[in-house]
Amino acid sequence: MSAPDALLEFLPPYLAEVDELLAAARSNLLAAEVSARKGMASPRLVRELFRGVHTIKGLSAMVDVEAVVALSHRMETSLRIADQAGGRLGTAAIQRLFQGLTGIEHCVKQLAAGRPLDAPSPALLALLDNLEEGLVGSPGPTDGPLVLQLAPSLLAKVNASEREQLNQGVAAGLTAVLLEFSPSPERAQAGFNINSVRERLSKVAELVKVVPVSAKVTASSPGGLYFALLLLTSNPPEALVAASGVAASDVKVIASPRSPAADDELADLADAALPAYEGAGRHGVVRVEAGRLDEAMDRLSALVVGRSRVMRAVAQLTETGANTRELLQILAENGRHLRDMRASILRIRMVRVVEVLERLPLMVRGLRRSTGKQVRLELELGNAELDKGVGDRLFPAIVHLVRNAVDHALELPEERVRLGKPPEGLLRIRCHSRPNSLLELSIEDDGAGVDAATVARRAGVPEPRNAQELLELLCQPGLSTRTEVSTTSGRGMGMDIVKRIAVGQLGGSLTLATELGKGSTFTLSVPLTLSIVEAFVFESGAQRYALPVSAVEELIEIDPDLVIRGPVPVGKDGRAAEASGVGMIHRRGAAVPVLTLDALLHGVQGGRPKKAIVVFHQGQRVAFGVDRMVSQQEIVIRPLEDPLVRVRGVTGATDLGDGRPTLVLDLAAFSKGITLGLPA
Amino acid sequence: MTEVLVVDDSKVMRDMVVACLRAEAGYAFTHASSGLEAIERLSLKRFDLVVLDLNMPDIGGIEVVEFVRGQDTIKDLPVVIVTTRGDEASRTRALAAGANRFMTKPFTPETILAEVRSMLAPGTRPRAPG
Repeated sequence: MSAPDALLEFLPPYLAEVDELLAAARSNLLAAEVSARKGMASPRLVRELFRGVHTIKGLSAMVDVEAVVALSHRMETSLRIADQAGGRLGTAAIQRLFQGLTGIEHCVKQLAAGRPLDAPSPALLALLDNLEEGLVGSPGPTDGPLVLQLAPSLLAKVNASEREQLNQGVAAGLTAVLLEFSPSPERAQAGFNINSVRERLSKVAELVKVVPVSAKVTASSPGGLYFALLLLTSNPPEALVAASGVAASDVKVIASPRSPAADDELADLADAALPAYEGAGRHGVVRVEAGRLDEAMDRLSALVVGRSRVMRAVAQLTETGANTRELLQILAENGRHLRDMRASILRIRMVRVVEVLERLPLMVRGLRRSTGKQVRLELELGNAELDKGVGDRLFPAIVHLVRNAVDHALELPEERVRLGKPPEGLLRIRCHSRPNSLLELSIEDDGAGVDAATVARRAGVPEPRNAQELLELLCQPGLSTRTEVSTTSGRGMGMDIVKRIAVGQLGGSLTLATELGKGSTFTLSVPLTLSIVEAFVFESGAQRYALPVSAVEELIEIDPDLVIRGPVPVGKDGRAAEASGVGMIHRRGAAVPVLTLDALLHGVQGGRPKKAIVVFHQGQRVAFGVDRMVSQQEIVIRPLEDPLVRVRGVTGATDLGDGRPTLVLDLAAFSKGITLGLPA
Repeated sequence: MTEVLVVDDSKVMRDMVVACLRAEAGYAFTHASSGLEAIERLSLKRFDLVVLDLNMPDIGGIEVVEFVRGQDTIKDLPVVIVTTRGDEASRTRALAAGANRFMTKPFTPETILAEVRSMLAPGTRPRAPG
């Protein structure tokens, strides 16, 4: 069976939505694990998990992704049972559900990369099949039955898991409240509909259940309907009234707190390390493919080019003595608008750092298990944002630093106690936006610190005199501070990779502050935005260069023997073009000048390139002979900062991952002014 | 114009349903992202057909059907339930609650269109008054 063609167009939005659902599920599962360790049930989380997995299954069936259907179906079955058991989920089951999510994620990644999808491994399916055994965790302490002051018809609608949720809330010092909201066209006009009311209430209360109730059609409920909302809150009724626009008489207490709100168990549920996940279902949020933003940027570039043509035309008009004042004003304004629009598009590319790092808690959780160390992860990220491209590149560097911190810096609990430290190690990630469009991100631990003497001995060099020298030493490729291989960080510290990403690729900086026995802080400073393009990488005269794909008309093979040497293309001034490696080929019935790039850049004679890059510039094709095409890849263009090194035809530099700067060319600039000279 | 209310918490799913049905001229679509929103919209405006997902965050499709059948003004409104494979137990429950048709994902544009056409065919068309 294959997906109906009509639905194939939905594959990209499908992938985006599943991605979002997976992130939410992961976050919920982590929180459920926190409660499970305390022997508590997580009715709300389990319900949300069930729904998320169920939605994934339905969507996957529509676009015919059988592997994901198989995985999500099994997870859904067990989550349904857990839900019916009042939201109890054992830690063993949570483990397996994590594996299931990872399996789905793998499928989504394959699909996104356009790779064929294998059937999920039978071992994983079996694991999820047997999930029901030992699924339900041990029942938590019960404080006797909960009495709800509710009409029997409503009471009948409250199921086991919702009752457990109310029970937990009341036991933790919250008040259970019934709020009645009647929709009407007038209320909708005033901004109060069930969606908005629910969203606003969720900021001041925990929503347990909403039941629609038929009513007589009256002035106050013209639809013959009201919604009965069951809530848990620590806020006074006035806050609920304000959030929902209902009358005070529509808010009733159905169960009072069982004990004063001293019990902080529920507060613990909102573990500081788990940033509240707001991605899925957040109103007013649109997910778009990055490619569409690039497209918008391309269109904008076309507008900019058009504007400069108009400016030239106006300048010519001015020369003839025409009054162009108003035109020039309009053009100036138009320029401002284009700049603003560029800024707007760049802003769309910004993502919250919280989202970039949303997988860290999961990773640290894995590290905890594999190292036996206790780690408290604190994320202080605020509302900082950065370009999606920067975030994607930066993330691996942060992963390296976090792994190093847990693996090498933090001590085992017993060791920490012996040293007079709390058994739980601290790992704190903070970020700040700095002036100059820089984002500063620090990874701090309270572990052993870096021992400069040991590092120096291992590297066989004199002991570094300060932290910066020590960092330089740590970032030397191949340096290892450990003799044994560990499962998480491998053999080396990978600091050279961190530095290459932060400094080489992103043009930022990396610093270190460390104190022996007290801990270390690595700080990354990176630009908030980058210019990223798809580029061809090629070699000419033993040098590597990059060229944006968008600038290339075609790549061709040329037979050196068929290159006609002369007539020689000449520049506008009538002299022969500056380089002598010039020839001409016939291409699709037209004469195309061929310039040897090496000759153009370095004045080197000779060379018979067999490959050429054809660019189209102002109605003219020009071929540039090069030695070898290397690859096509995304590159980050860093502008050449020194104004003195502004070379015609060079737009910037990039790092292809080998640590050496590679020049990014603008071949159109070379083709400027080259015309085919007429034979004498 | 035939007013169709498409209820699903997944936007992609709603878009797919609309993509399947838009081949038929004369349909106008309204989205609802939750069972509660669906009920609210149904209580305030007349619709000719509801395409309804079963599993949603607040209240499920079955509760929406029960509500519709319990309201005098809309008790005859045609309802198509769309749900995910492996949920056959809910088929009985949904039909018992009063759903007119029950479709399982994945469905093709042709199958859902045929169901909808047959429900809205002249003569057989159950119509909510006013």
